[in-house]
Amino acid sequence: MTYIIYIALFFMIAGLTMSAFRFVKGPTAGDRTVALDTLTIITVAAMVLLSYVFQRIIYLDVALVYAVLGFIGVIVIARYLEGAL
Amino acid sequence: MTYIILIFFLLVLMVGAAIYSIVQKDLLYAVIATGVISLILSAIFLLLQAPDVALTEAAIGVALTTIIFIITIRNTVRHEDDFKDRNDLKSAIK
Repeated sequence: MTYIIYIALFFMIAGLTMSAFRFVKGPTAGDRTVALDTLTIITVAAMVLLSYVFQRIIYLDVALVYAVLGFIGVIVIARYLEGAL
Repeated sequence: MTYIILIFFLLVLMVGAAIYSIVQKDLLYAVIATGVISLILSAIFLLLQAPDVALTEAAIGVALTTIIFIITIRNTVRHEDDFKDRNDLKSAIK
């Protein structure tokens, strides 16, 4: 069972690395916004995994709050890029 | 404790995002980098077993900081080089 957790952590670190690369290199603002959204989603998944690893139910609340608020932040940036804010 | 590796990886990522936010001339990209810093800092607080601090950091870092800075960029200039006079902040207001 612990091997599955290590494999999941490896893929999360790989995804974070690739998203950070796209965030630094991305030529347009849309690339960087989508990279921020991807980083948020991967980090929320990592928080849920850590909630299982540490057997703490309160860690799920942080993941829930971050999922909702990260969506709002990305929506605000998208509205600014659209020119309608 | 193999999660020390994860903490070190997140710390390196956070310092990289902070340096990127400082050297970037486009202020919108700097604000997005600030969001990345807040995200990774929240994950580090969670790994250090302080979920209440991580909750506060998530609420402040994403909702408050990003939205207020985006509204500020909307009312001023987006590129840092577009300031007419860097010592007079009122010259940046549209």
